[in-house]
Amino acid sequence: MRKPLPVFRRSLADSWRSLLGWTVGVVAVLALYLPLYPSIGGDGQIQQIIESMPPELVNTLGFSGIGSGAGYTQATFFGLIGFLLLTIAATSWGASAIGGAEESGRLELALAHGVGRARYALESALSILVRLLWLGLVATLLILALDGPSELGLSASDVVAAVSALLGLTFLIGAAALAVGAIAGRQSIGTLAGAAIAVAGYVLNAIANQVSDADAIRAASPYAWAYQDDPLVNGADPAGLAALWGVGLVLVALATFALRRRDVTG
Amino acid sequence: MTAAITTRGLQKRYGARTAVQALDLEVQQGTVFGLIGPNGAGKTTTLRMLLDIIRPTAGTAAVLGADPRHGGPALRRRIGFVPGELRLEGRVRARTLLAHYADLSGPVPHGEIDRLARRLDVDLSRPVRALSKGNKQKVGLIQAFMHRPELLVLDEPTSGLDPLVQREFLSMVREARDNGQTVLLSSHVLSEIQQTADRVAVLSTGRVVAEGDVESLRLTSRRRIRAGVRDTNHEAMRNALAGIPGVSHAEVIEGDIVRVSATIDGDIDPLIKLLASSTVVDLAIEEPDLEESVLALYGADAEGAVRA
Repeated sequence: MRKPLPVFRRSLADSWRSLLGWTVGVVAVLALYLPLYPSIGGDGQIQQIIESMPPELVNTLGFSGIGSGAGYTQATFFGLIGFLLLTIAATSWGASAIGGAEESGRLELALAHGVGRARYALESALSILVRLLWLGLVATLLILALDGPSELGLSASDVVAAVSALLGLTFLIGAAALAVGAIAGRQSIGTLAGAAIAVAGYVLNAIANQVSDADAIRAASPYAWAYQDDPLVNGADPAGLAALWGVGLVLVALATFALRRRDVTG
Repeated sequence: MTAAITTRGLQKRYGARTAVQALDLEVQQGTVFGLIGPNGAGKTTTLRMLLDIIRPTAGTAAVLGADPRHGGPALRRRIGFVPGELRLEGRVRARTLLAHYADLSGPVPHGEIDRLARRLDVDLSRPVRALSKGNKQKVGLIQAFMHRPELLVLDEPTSGLDPLVQREFLSMVREARDNGQTVLLSSHVLSEIQQTADRVAVLSTGRVVAEGDVESLRLTSRRRIRAGVRDTNHEAMRNALAGIPGVSHAEVIEGDIVRVSATIDGDIDPLIKLLASSTVVDLAIEEPDLEESVLALYGADAEGAVRA
Protein backbone atom coordinates (compact mmCIF):
# COMPACT_ATOMS: atom_id res chain seq x y z
CA MET A 1 0.00 0.00 0.00
CA ARG A 2 1.49 3.30 -1.06
CA LYS A 3 1.39 6.21 1.34
CA PRO A 4 -0.51 9.24 0.06
CA LEU A 5 1.02 12.47 -1.30
CA PRO A 6 4.62 11.32 -1.78
CA VAL A 7 5.78 14.45 -3.64
CA PHE A 8 4.18 16.71 -1.06
CA ARG A 9 5.76 14.84 1.81
CA ARG A 10 9.20 14.90 0.26
CA SER A 11 8.91 18.60 -0.45
CA LEU A 12 8.07 19.31 3.20
CA ALA A 13 10.78 16.98 4.47
CA ASP A 14 13.35 18.69 2.27
CA SER A 15 12.37 22.20 3.29
CA TRP A 16 11.61 22.10 7.02
CA ARG A 17 14.86 23.90 7.80
CA SER A 18 14.02 26.76 5.50
CA LEU A 19 10.46 26.83 6.84
CA LEU A 20 11.87 27.07 10.36
CA GLY A 21 13.98 30.02 9.21
CA TRP A 22 10.98 31.84 7.75
CA THR A 23 8.99 31.12 10.91
CA VAL A 24 11.73 32.68 13.03
CA GLY A 25 11.70 35.67 10.66
CA VAL A 26 7.95 36.21 10.99
CA VAL A 27 8.06 35.82 14.76
CA ALA A 28 11.00 38.20 15.06
CA VAL A 29 9.40 40.89 12.92
CA LEU A 30 6.10 40.76 14.82
CA ALA A 31 7.77 40.59 18.23
CA LEU A 32 9.97 43.53 17.28
CA TYR A 33 7.43 45.86 15.70
CA LEU A 34 4.09 45.36 17.43
CA PRO A 35 5.26 46.08 21.03
CA LEU A 36 6.64 49.42 19.83
CA TYR A 37 3.16 50.70 19.02
CA PRO A 38 2.19 52.02 22.49
CA SER A 39 5.40 54.05 22.78
CA ILE A 40 5.41 55.61 19.32
CA GLY A 41 1.91 55.30 17.92
CA GLY A 42 -0.45 55.23 20.84
CA ASP A 43 0.08 58.77 22.09
CA GLY A 44 -0.23 60.52 18.77
CA GLN A 45 3.49 61.21 18.36
CA ILE A 46 3.76 59.24 15.20
CA GLN A 47 0.68 60.95 13.82
CA GLN A 48 2.50 64.27 14.21
CA ILE A 49 5.55 62.90 12.39
CA ILE A 50 3.38 61.56 9.60
CA GLU A 51 1.63 64.90 9.24
CA SER A 52 4.98 66.67 8.90
CA MET A 53 5.97 64.37 6.03
CA PRO A 54 5.04 65.04 2.38
CA PRO A 55 1.64 63.40 1.80
CA GLU A 56 2.88 61.77 -1.42
CA LEU A 57 5.52 59.89 0.55
CA VAL A 58 3.06 58.88 3.25
CA ASN A 59 0.60 57.59 0.68
CA THR A 60 3.27 55.74 -1.26
CA LEU A 61 4.43 53.93 1.85
CA GLY A 62 0.84 53.28 2.93
CA PHE A 63 1.46 54.97 6.28
CA SER A 64 -1.62 57.21 6.32
CA GLY A 65 -3.45 55.19 8.98
CA ILE A 66 -0.40 54.46 11.08
CA GLY A 67 -1.79 56.32 14.08
CA SER A 68 -4.25 53.51 14.84
CA GLY A 69 -3.38 49.99 15.99
CA ALA A 70 -4.87 48.50 12.83
CA GLY A 71 -3.11 51.05 10.61
CA TYR A 72 0.20 50.45 12.38
CA THR A 73 -0.04 46.66 12.05
CA GLN A 74 -1.05 47.01 8.41
CA ALA A 75 1.76 49.45 7.58
CA THR A 76 4.52 47.54 9.32
CA PHE A 77 3.67 43.85 8.94
CA PHE A 78 0.94 43.13 6.38
CA GLY A 79 1.80 45.89 3.95
CA LEU A 80 5.56 45.80 4.21
CA ILE A 81 7.81 43.38 6.04
CA GLY A 82 5.40 40.47 6.41
CA PHE A 83 4.51 40.88 2.76
CA LEU A 84 8.21 40.93 1.87
CA LEU A 85 9.08 37.86 3.94
CA LEU A 86 6.22 35.72 2.68
CA THR A 87 6.76 36.90 -0.89
CA ILE A 88 10.41 35.87 -0.87
CA ALA A 89 9.54 32.53 0.73
CA ALA A 90 6.69 31.77 -1.70
CA THR A 91 8.74 32.85 -4.73
CA SER A 92 11.70 30.68 -3.82
CA TRP A 93 9.47 27.69 -3.05
CA GLY A 94 7.48 28.16 -6.25
CA ALA A 95 10.47 28.63 -8.53
CA SER A 96 12.38 25.68 -7.11
CA ALA A 97 9.45 23.23 -7.07
CA ILE A 98 9.44 22.52 -10.82
CA GLY A 99 11.91 24.82 -12.59
CA GLY A 100 14.58 24.26 -9.97
CA ALA A 101 13.89 20.54 -9.74
CA GLU A 102 14.25 20.27 -13.49
CA GLU A 103 17.59 22.08 -13.52
CA SER A 104 18.93 19.96 -10.68
CA GLY A 105 17.92 16.73 -12.43
CA ARG A 106 15.60 15.57 -9.66
CA LEU A 107 12.49 16.13 -11.75
CA GLU A 108 13.72 13.72 -14.43
CA LEU A 109 14.34 11.00 -11.87
CA ALA A 110 11.06 11.58 -10.03
CA LEU A 111 9.02 11.53 -13.25
CA ALA A 112 10.74 8.31 -14.32
CA HIS A 113 9.14 6.77 -11.23
CA GLY A 114 5.48 6.14 -10.62
CA VAL A 115 4.18 9.68 -10.41
CA GLY A 116 2.21 11.58 -13.01
CA ARG A 117 3.14 15.08 -14.04
CA ALA A 118 -0.15 16.62 -12.98
CA ARG A 119 0.19 15.01 -9.59
CA TYR A 120 3.73 16.30 -9.30
CA ALA A 121 2.67 19.87 -10.05
CA LEU A 122 -0.40 19.77 -7.81
CA GLU A 123 1.41 18.28 -4.84
CA SER A 124 4.17 20.87 -5.29
CA ALA A 125 1.54 23.63 -5.19
CA LEU A 126 -0.06 22.04 -2.14
CA SER A 127 3.31 22.06 -0.41
CA ILE A 128 3.72 25.80 -1.06
CA LEU A 129 0.20 26.41 0.22
CA VAL A 130 0.67 24.40 3.41
CA ARG A 131 3.95 26.13 4.23
CA LEU A 132 2.33 29.53 3.71
CA LEU A 133 -0.63 28.48 5.87
CA TRP A 134 1.80 27.55 8.60
CA LEU A 135 3.44 30.99 8.48
CA GLY A 136 -0.04 32.54 8.45
CA LEU A 137 -1.08 30.52 11.49
CA VAL A 138 2.04 31.57 13.40
CA ALA A 139 1.45 35.22 12.45
CA THR A 140 -2.23 35.06 13.48
CA LEU A 141 -1.51 33.53 16.86
CA LEU A 142 1.33 35.92 17.60
CA ILE A 143 -0.62 39.03 16.56
CA LEU A 144 -3.55 37.97 18.73
CA ALA A 145 -1.18 37.28 21.62
CA LEU A 146 0.46 40.70 21.24
CA ASP A 147 -2.81 42.54 20.59
CA GLY A 148 -3.54 43.21 24.28
CA PRO A 149 -0.04 44.04 25.57
CA SER A 150 0.65 46.21 22.51
CA GLU A 151 -2.69 48.05 22.79
CA LEU A 152 -3.50 47.45 19.12
CA GLY A 153 -7.24 47.01 19.58
CA LEU A 154 -7.61 44.42 16.79
CA SER A 155 -10.48 41.96 16.50
CA ALA A 156 -9.66 38.32 15.93
CA SER A 157 -11.86 38.06 12.86
CA ASP A 158 -10.18 41.08 11.25
CA VAL A 159 -6.75 39.58 11.91
CA VAL A 160 -7.86 36.35 10.25
CA ALA A 161 -9.21 38.39 7.33
CA ALA A 162 -5.91 40.27 6.92
CA VAL A 163 -3.85 37.08 7.19
CA SER A 164 -6.11 35.45 4.58
CA ALA A 165 -5.46 38.38 2.27
CA LEU A 166 -1.69 38.19 2.87
CA LEU A 167 -1.71 34.44 2.22
CA GLY A 168 -3.83 34.82 -0.90
CA LEU A 169 -1.47 37.47 -2.21
CA THR A 170 1.71 35.53 -1.51
CA PHE A 171 0.23 32.25 -2.75
CA LEU A 172 -0.62 33.98 -6.01
CA ILE A 173 3.00 35.16 -6.25
CA GLY A 174 4.34 31.69 -5.39
CA ALA A 175 1.99 30.08 -7.93
CA ALA A 176 3.23 32.52 -10.58
CA ALA A 177 6.83 31.48 -9.82
CA LEU A 178 5.72 27.82 -9.98
CA ALA A 179 3.91 28.26 -13.30
CA VAL A 180 6.61 30.28 -15.04
CA GLY A 181 9.27 27.95 -13.65
CA ALA A 182 7.29 25.04 -15.10
CA ILE A 183 6.89 26.75 -18.48
CA ALA A 184 10.52 27.77 -18.76
CA GLY A 185 12.09 24.85 -16.94
CA ARG A 186 14.32 27.33 -15.19
CA GLN A 187 14.37 28.39 -11.56
CA SER A 188 15.75 31.86 -12.26
CA ILE A 189 12.94 32.75 -14.65
CA GLY A 190 10.35 31.53 -12.16
CA THR A 191 11.95 33.65 -9.45
CA LEU A 192 11.92 36.63 -11.76
CA ALA A 193 8.20 36.15 -12.45
CA GLY A 194 7.30 35.97 -8.76
CA ALA A 195 9.39 39.02 -7.93
CA ALA A 196 8.00 40.96 -10.89
CA ILE A 197 4.39 40.37 -9.84
CA ALA A 198 5.16 41.32 -6.24
CA VAL A 199 6.97 44.53 -7.21
CA ALA A 200 4.45 45.50 -9.90
CA GLY A 201 1.55 44.93 -7.50
CA TYR A 202 3.19 47.03 -4.83
CA VAL A 203 4.17 49.85 -7.19
CA LEU A 204 0.77 50.00 -8.90
CA ASN A 205 -0.89 50.20 -5.50
CA ALA A 206 1.47 53.00 -4.45
CA ILE A 207 0.68 54.94 -7.62
CA ALA A 208 -3.04 54.37 -7.06
CA ASN A 209 -2.67 55.92 -3.59
CA GLN A 210 -1.47 59.17 -5.18
CA VAL A 211 -3.95 59.77 -7.95
CA SER A 212 -7.62 60.53 -7.56
CA ASP A 213 -9.34 58.19 -10.00
CA ALA A 214 -7.35 55.04 -9.36
CA ASP A 215 -9.80 52.16 -9.59
CA ALA A 216 -8.40 50.96 -12.88
CA ILE A 217 -4.87 50.90 -11.52
CA ARG A 218 -5.94 49.08 -8.36
CA ALA A 219 -7.75 46.52 -10.44
CA ALA A 220 -4.41 45.52 -11.93
CA SER A 221 -2.62 45.17 -8.60
CA PRO A 222 -2.89 41.93 -6.59
CA TYR A 223 -1.49 43.91 -3.69
CA ALA A 224 -4.53 46.21 -3.91
CA TRP A 225 -6.89 43.22 -4.17
CA ALA A 226 -5.55 42.13 -0.82
CA TYR A 227 -5.51 45.39 1.07
CA GLN A 228 -7.58 48.13 -0.59
CA ASP A 229 -10.53 47.39 1.66
CA ASP A 230 -8.46 47.58 4.89
CA PRO A 231 -9.19 44.07 6.18
CA LEU A 232 -7.80 44.90 9.64
CA VAL A 233 -10.51 47.55 9.97
CA ASN A 234 -13.34 46.33 7.76
CA GLY A 235 -12.89 42.57 7.90
CA ALA A 236 -12.74 40.21 4.96
CA ASP A 237 -13.22 41.55 1.44
CA PRO A 238 -14.87 38.64 -0.39
CA ALA A 239 -14.24 40.05 -3.88
CA GLY A 240 -10.56 40.70 -3.17
CA LEU A 241 -10.02 37.29 -1.61
CA ALA A 242 -11.84 35.58 -4.47
CA ALA A 243 -9.62 37.39 -6.98
CA LEU A 244 -6.41 36.47 -5.15
CA TRP A 245 -7.21 32.82 -4.56
CA GLY A 246 -8.89 32.45 -7.96
CA VAL A 247 -5.88 33.73 -9.88
CA GLY A 248 -3.60 31.65 -7.65
CA LEU A 249 -5.51 28.50 -8.57
CA VAL A 250 -5.51 29.43 -12.26
CA LEU A 251 -1.73 29.76 -12.09
CA VAL A 252 -1.47 26.32 -10.46
CA ALA A 253 -3.58 24.92 -13.28
CA LEU A 254 -1.28 26.65 -15.76
CA ALA A 255 1.76 25.07 -14.09
CA THR A 256 0.11 21.65 -14.31
CA PHE A 257 -0.83 22.14 -17.92
CA ALA A 258 2.67 23.37 -18.85
CA LEU A 259 4.45 20.49 -17.15
CA ARG A 260 2.18 17.92 -18.78
CA ARG A 261 2.93 19.20 -22.23
CA ARG A 262 6.65 19.75 -22.08
CA ASP A 263 9.79 17.75 -22.62
CA VAL A 264 11.67 17.59 -19.35
CA THR A 265 15.28 18.42 -20.03
CA GLY A 266 17.55 19.84 -17.37
CA MET B 1 9.14 -14.42 -27.53
CA THR B 2 7.36 -11.15 -27.01
CA ALA B 3 8.97 -7.77 -27.28
CA ALA B 4 9.43 -5.67 -24.15
CA ILE B 5 10.23 -2.63 -26.25
CA THR B 6 9.33 -1.88 -29.83
CA THR B 7 9.97 1.39 -31.59
CA ARG B 8 8.88 2.22 -35.12
CA GLY B 9 10.28 5.25 -36.89
CA LEU B 10 10.95 6.95 -33.58
CA GLN B 11 12.28 10.42 -34.16
CA LYS B 12 13.24 13.40 -32.05
CA ARG B 13 14.06 16.78 -33.53
CA TYR B 14 15.16 19.89 -31.67
CA GLY B 15 14.50 22.64 -34.16
CA ALA B 16 16.73 21.93 -37.11
CA ARG B 17 18.84 19.39 -35.25
CA THR B 18 17.75 15.77 -35.35
CA ALA B 19 18.82 13.90 -32.23
CA VAL B 20 17.20 10.60 -33.17
CA GLN B 21 16.00 9.76 -36.66
CA ALA B 22 13.64 6.98 -37.61
CA LEU B 23 14.67 4.50 -34.96
CA ASP B 24 13.41 0.93 -35.24
CA LEU B 25 14.29 -1.16 -32.23
CA GLU B 26 12.98 -4.39 -30.84
CA VAL B 27 14.04 -5.64 -27.43
CA GLN B 28 12.84 -9.13 -26.55
CA GLN B 29 11.55 -9.89 -23.10
CA GLY B 30 14.07 -11.46 -20.75
CA THR B 31 17.10 -10.35 -22.71
CA VAL B 32 19.86 -7.80 -22.21
CA PHE B 33 19.97 -5.34 -25.04
CA GLY B 34 22.95 -3.05 -25.47
CA LEU B 35 22.69 0.34 -27.05
CA ILE B 36 26.13 1.55 -27.92
CA GLY B 37 27.48 4.50 -29.76
CA PRO B 38 29.71 7.49 -29.34
CA ASN B 39 28.63 10.41 -27.17
CA GLY B 40 25.94 12.43 -28.91
CA ALA B 41 24.68 9.46 -30.91
CA GLY B 42 21.17 9.79 -29.47
CA LYS B 43 21.25 7.09 -26.80
CA THR B 44 20.07 9.29 -23.95
CA THR B 45 17.37 10.88 -26.10
CA THR B 46 16.08 7.45 -27.06
CA LEU B 47 15.94 6.19 -23.49
CA ARG B 48 14.24 9.36 -22.27
CA MET B 49 11.55 8.92 -24.90
CA LEU B 50 10.87 5.41 -23.62
CA LEU B 51 10.28 6.87 -20.14
CA ASP B 52 8.07 9.71 -21.42
CA ILE B 53 10.50 12.27 -20.05
CA ILE B 54 10.69 13.73 -23.53
CA ARG B 55 8.20 13.15 -26.31
CA PRO B 56 9.02 11.92 -29.80
CA THR B 57 8.55 14.23 -32.77
CA ALA B 58 7.37 11.30 -34.88
CA GLY B 59 7.04 7.55 -34.73
CA THR B 60 5.72 5.19 -32.10
CA ALA B 61 7.06 3.28 -29.15
CA ALA B 62 5.59 0.44 -27.16
CA VAL B 63 7.10 -0.32 -23.76
CA LEU B 64 5.78 -3.40 -21.93
CA GLY B 65 2.81 -3.28 -24.24
CA ALA B 66 1.92 0.35 -23.60
CA ASP B 67 2.62 3.67 -25.25
CA PRO B 68 4.94 5.53 -22.85
CA ARG B 69 3.04 8.72 -23.63
CA HIS B 70 -0.14 7.26 -22.17
CA GLY B 71 1.12 4.52 -19.86
CA GLY B 72 1.40 6.94 -16.96
CA PRO B 73 2.65 6.11 -13.47
CA ALA B 74 1.36 2.53 -13.67
CA LEU B 75 3.69 1.82 -16.59
CA ARG B 76 6.69 3.56 -15.06
CA ARG B 77 6.34 1.57 -11.84
CA ARG B 78 7.20 -1.47 -13.95
CA ILE B 79 10.41 0.20 -15.15
CA GLY B 80 13.65 0.97 -13.34
CA PHE B 81 15.61 3.87 -14.78
CA VAL B 82 19.11 5.22 -14.27
CA PRO B 83 19.44 8.60 -15.98
CA GLY B 84 22.53 9.30 -18.05
CA GLU B 85 23.47 12.29 -16.01
CA LEU B 86 22.56 11.31 -12.48
CA ARG B 87 22.67 14.23 -10.10
CA LEU B 88 21.72 13.86 -6.47
CA GLU B 89 21.68 16.94 -4.32
CA GLY B 90 20.56 18.11 -0.93
CA ARG B 91 21.03 17.10 2.67
CA VAL B 92 18.54 14.30 2.36
CA ARG B 93 20.06 10.99 3.42
CA ALA B 94 20.44 8.35 0.75
CA ARG B 95 18.14 6.02 2.67
CA THR B 96 15.41 8.67 2.94
CA LEU B 97 15.71 9.46 -0.74
CA LEU B 98 15.38 5.79 -1.65
CA ALA B 99 12.34 5.50 0.63
CA HIS B 100 10.80 8.37 -1.31
CA TYR B 101 11.34 6.62 -4.64
CA ALA B 102 9.98 3.43 -3.08
CA ASP B 103 6.89 5.47 -2.20
CA LEU B 104 6.51 6.42 -5.84
CA SER B 105 7.31 3.11 -7.48
CA GLY B 106 7.00 0.51 -4.75
CA PRO B 107 6.35 -1.90 -3.30
CA VAL B 108 9.98 -2.74 -2.62
CA PRO B 109 10.62 -6.16 -1.08
CA HIS B 110 11.57 -5.90 2.58
CA GLY B 111 15.33 -5.59 3.07
CA GLU B 112 16.01 -5.20 -0.65
CA ILE B 113 17.49 -1.71 -0.34
CA ASP B 114 19.94 -2.82 2.35
CA ARG B 115 20.82 -5.94 0.43
CA LEU B 116 21.69 -3.87 -2.66
CA ALA B 117 23.58 -1.31 -0.56
CA ARG B 118 25.71 -4.04 0.98
CA ARG B 119 26.30 -5.59 -2.38
CA LEU B 120 27.41 -2.31 -3.96
CA ASP B 121 29.13 -1.18 -0.76
CA VAL B 122 27.54 2.20 -0.20
CA ASP B 123 26.68 3.90 3.10
CA LEU B 124 23.04 4.98 2.95
CA SER B 125 23.14 6.98 6.17
CA ARG B 126 25.06 9.81 4.53
CA PRO B 127 23.51 12.88 2.91
CA VAL B 128 23.47 12.36 -0.84
CA ARG B 129 25.35 15.58 -1.54
CA ALA B 130 28.27 14.26 0.52
CA LEU B 131 28.55 11.11 -1.59
CA SER B 132 31.26 10.72 -4.20
CA LYS B 133 30.27 10.41 -7.84
CA GLY B 134 30.68 6.65 -7.68
CA ASN B 135 28.56 6.36 -4.55
CA LYS B 136 25.84 8.55 -6.04
CA GLN B 137 25.83 6.23 -9.03
CA LYS B 138 25.36 3.29 -6.67
CA VAL B 139 22.34 5.00 -5.12
CA GLY B 140 21.09 5.52 -8.68
CA LEU B 141 21.45 1.81 -9.36
CA ILE B 142 19.64 0.89 -6.14
CA GLN B 143 16.63 3.09 -6.97
CA ALA B 144 16.39 1.41 -10.37
CA PHE B 145 16.77 -2.19 -9.17
CA MET B 146 15.06 -2.12 -5.77
CA HIS B 147 11.46 -2.68 -6.85
CA ARG B 148 12.52 -5.50 -9.20
CA PRO B 149 10.92 -3.93 -12.25
CA GLU B 150 10.08 -5.94 -15.35
CA LEU B 151 12.23 -3.59 -17.41
CA LEU B 152 15.48 -1.86 -16.53
CA VAL B 153 16.48 1.12 -18.65
CA LEU B 154 20.03 2.02 -17.74
CA ASP B 155 21.78 4.99 -19.32
CA GLU B 156 25.55 4.74 -18.92
CA PRO B 157 25.02 2.94 -15.61
CA THR B 158 28.67 2.28 -14.80
CA SER B 159 29.95 5.82 -15.15
CA GLY B 160 32.00 6.69 -12.10
CA LEU B 161 32.06 3.15 -10.72
CA ASP B 162 35.38 1.53 -9.93
CA PRO B 163 36.17 -1.73 -11.76
CA LEU B 164 35.26 -3.97 -8.85
CA VAL B 165 31.80 -2.43 -8.52
CA GLN B 166 31.41 -2.48 -12.30
CA ARG B 167 31.87 -6.22 -12.16
CA GLU B 168 29.28 -6.50 -9.40
CA PHE B 169 26.91 -4.43 -11.50
CA LEU B 170 27.38 -6.67 -14.51
CA SER B 171 26.49 -9.68 -12.42
CA MET B 172 23.40 -7.84 -11.18
CA VAL B 173 22.38 -7.35 -14.79
CA ARG B 174 22.87 -11.03 -15.57
CA GLU B 175 20.86 -12.02 -12.49
CA ALA B 176 18.09 -9.66 -13.54
CA ARG B 177 17.93 -11.40 -16.89
CA ASP B 178 17.90 -14.80 -15.23
CA ASN B 179 14.90 -13.57 -13.20
CA GLY B 180 13.11 -12.84 -16.44
CA GLN B 181 13.65 -9.08 -16.30
CA THR B 182 14.51 -7.22 -19.48
CA VAL B 183 17.48 -4.87 -19.52
CA LEU B 184 18.15 -2.07 -21.97
CA LEU B 185 21.62 -0.76 -21.36
CA SER B 186 23.41 2.09 -23.04
CA SER B 187 27.12 2.60 -23.00
CA HIS B 188 29.98 4.07 -24.89
CA VAL B 189 32.25 1.39 -23.49
CA LEU B 190 32.20 -1.65 -25.69
CA SER B 191 33.59 -4.17 -23.21
CA GLU B 192 30.72 -3.51 -20.82
CA ILE B 193 28.21 -4.41 -23.51
CA GLN B 194 30.23 -7.41 -24.64
CA GLN B 195 30.12 -8.93 -21.18
CA THR B 196 26.37 -8.72 -20.73
CA ALA B 197 24.33 -8.01 -23.82
CA ASP B 198 22.56 -10.65 -25.86
CA ARG B 199 21.94 -8.23 -28.66
CA VAL B 200 23.37 -4.88 -29.56
CA ALA B 201 22.37 -1.92 -31.62
CA VAL B 202 25.00 0.58 -32.65
CA LEU B 203 23.81 4.16 -32.78
CA SER B 204 25.59 6.86 -34.68
CA THR B 205 24.28 10.36 -35.31
CA GLY B 206 20.76 9.40 -34.30
CA ARG B 207 20.31 6.22 -36.30
CA VAL B 208 20.99 2.52 -35.93
CA VAL B 209 24.01 1.71 -38.08
CA ALA B 210 24.28 -1.91 -37.03
CA GLU B 211 22.30 -4.41 -35.06
CA GLY B 212 22.93 -7.98 -34.08
CA ASP B 213 24.85 -10.00 -31.54
CA VAL B 214 28.09 -8.54 -30.34
CA GLU B 215 30.48 -10.84 -32.21
CA SER B 216 28.77 -10.49 -35.54
CA LEU B 217 29.24 -6.74 -35.51
CA ARG B 218 33.02 -7.01 -35.90
CA LEU B 219 33.40 -4.04 -33.61
CA THR B 220 35.92 -6.02 -31.65
CA SER B 221 38.20 -6.70 -34.59
CA ARG B 222 40.32 -3.57 -34.43
CA ARG B 223 43.14 -3.53 -31.91
CA ARG B 224 45.93 -1.20 -31.00
CA ILE B 225 49.09 -3.02 -30.04
CA ARG B 226 52.20 -1.73 -28.31
CA ALA B 227 55.11 -4.01 -27.51
CA GLY B 228 58.74 -3.99 -26.53
CA VAL B 229 60.82 -6.89 -27.84
CA ARG B 230 64.43 -7.91 -27.40
CA ASP B 231 66.81 -10.04 -29.47
CA THR B 232 65.56 -8.84 -32.80
CA ASN B 233 66.54 -6.51 -35.55
CA HIS B 234 64.26 -3.54 -36.06
CA GLU B 235 64.61 -3.70 -39.84
CA ALA B 236 63.51 -7.31 -39.91
CA MET B 237 60.64 -6.49 -37.57
CA ARG B 238 59.50 -3.63 -39.76
CA ASN B 239 59.53 -5.82 -42.87
CA ALA B 240 57.72 -8.64 -41.15
CA LEU B 241 55.05 -6.26 -39.84
CA ALA B 242 54.41 -4.94 -43.32
CA GLY B 243 53.68 -8.49 -44.44
CA ILE B 244 50.85 -9.06 -41.97
CA PRO B 245 47.39 -8.40 -43.39
CA GLY B 246 45.37 -5.69 -41.70
CA VAL B 247 48.27 -3.89 -40.09
CA SER B 248 48.31 -0.12 -40.29
CA HIS B 249 49.96 2.77 -38.49
CA ALA B 250 52.96 0.52 -37.84
CA GLU B 251 55.91 2.09 -36.09
CA VAL B 252 59.17 0.45 -35.10
CA ILE B 253 61.74 2.28 -33.01
CA GLU B 254 65.16 0.78 -32.80
CA GLY B 255 67.10 0.33 -29.60
CA ASP B 256 68.18 -2.27 -27.10
CA ILE B 257 64.53 -2.98 -26.75
CA VAL B 258 62.74 -2.54 -30.06
CA ARG B 259 59.51 -0.62 -29.61
CA VAL B 260 56.68 -1.75 -31.86
CA SER B 261 53.29 -0.13 -32.19
CA ALA B 262 50.60 -0.88 -34.76
CA THR B 263 46.88 -0.99 -35.38
CA ILE B 264 45.50 -4.25 -36.69
CA ASP B 265 42.14 -5.05 -38.18
CA GLY B 266 41.01 -8.64 -38.18
CA ASP B 267 43.03 -11.68 -37.21
CA ILE B 268 45.49 -10.81 -34.49
CA ASP B 269 47.27 -14.18 -34.43
CA PRO B 270 50.04 -13.53 -37.03
CA LEU B 271 51.10 -10.41 -35.22
CA ILE B 272 51.28 -12.15 -31.83
CA LYS B 273 53.29 -15.00 -33.38
CA LEU B 274 55.65 -12.50 -34.94
CA LEU B 275 56.22 -10.78 -31.60
CA ALA B 276 56.60 -14.13 -29.86
CA SER B 277 59.46 -15.08 -32.16
CA SER B 278 61.52 -12.59 -30.15
CA THR B 279 61.67 -12.04 -26.42
CA VAL B 280 58.66 -9.97 -25.42
CA VAL B 281 59.38 -7.65 -22.50
CA ASP B 282 56.25 -5.57 -22.65
CA LEU B 283 52.89 -5.91 -24.38
CA ALA B 284 49.70 -3.88 -24.36
CA ILE B 285 46.64 -4.61 -26.49
CA GLU B 286 43.89 -2.02 -26.39
CA GLU B 287 40.48 -1.84 -27.94
CA PRO B 288 39.98 1.46 -29.66
CA ASP B 289 37.26 3.74 -28.38
CA LEU B 290 33.84 3.06 -29.70
CA GLU B 291 33.62 6.16 -31.78
CA GLU B 292 36.69 5.11 -33.74
CA SER B 293 35.29 1.62 -34.24
CA VAL B 294 31.91 2.81 -35.37
CA LEU B 295 33.34 5.33 -37.76
CA ALA B 296 35.93 2.93 -39.09
CA LEU B 297 33.41 0.20 -39.75
CA TYR B 298 30.35 2.08 -40.83
CA GLY B 299 31.64 5.38 -42.09
CA ALA B 300 31.11 8.85 -40.77
CA ASP B 301 27.57 9.20 -42.07
CA ALA B 302 26.85 5.50 -41.75
CA GLU B 303 24.34 5.43 -44.58
CA GLY B 304 24.39 1.72 -45.17
CA ALA B 305 22.85 0.26 -42.07
CA VAL B 306 24.01 -3.26 -41.33
CA ARG B 307 21.86 -5.97 -39.93
CA ALA B 308 23.41 -9.17 -38.73
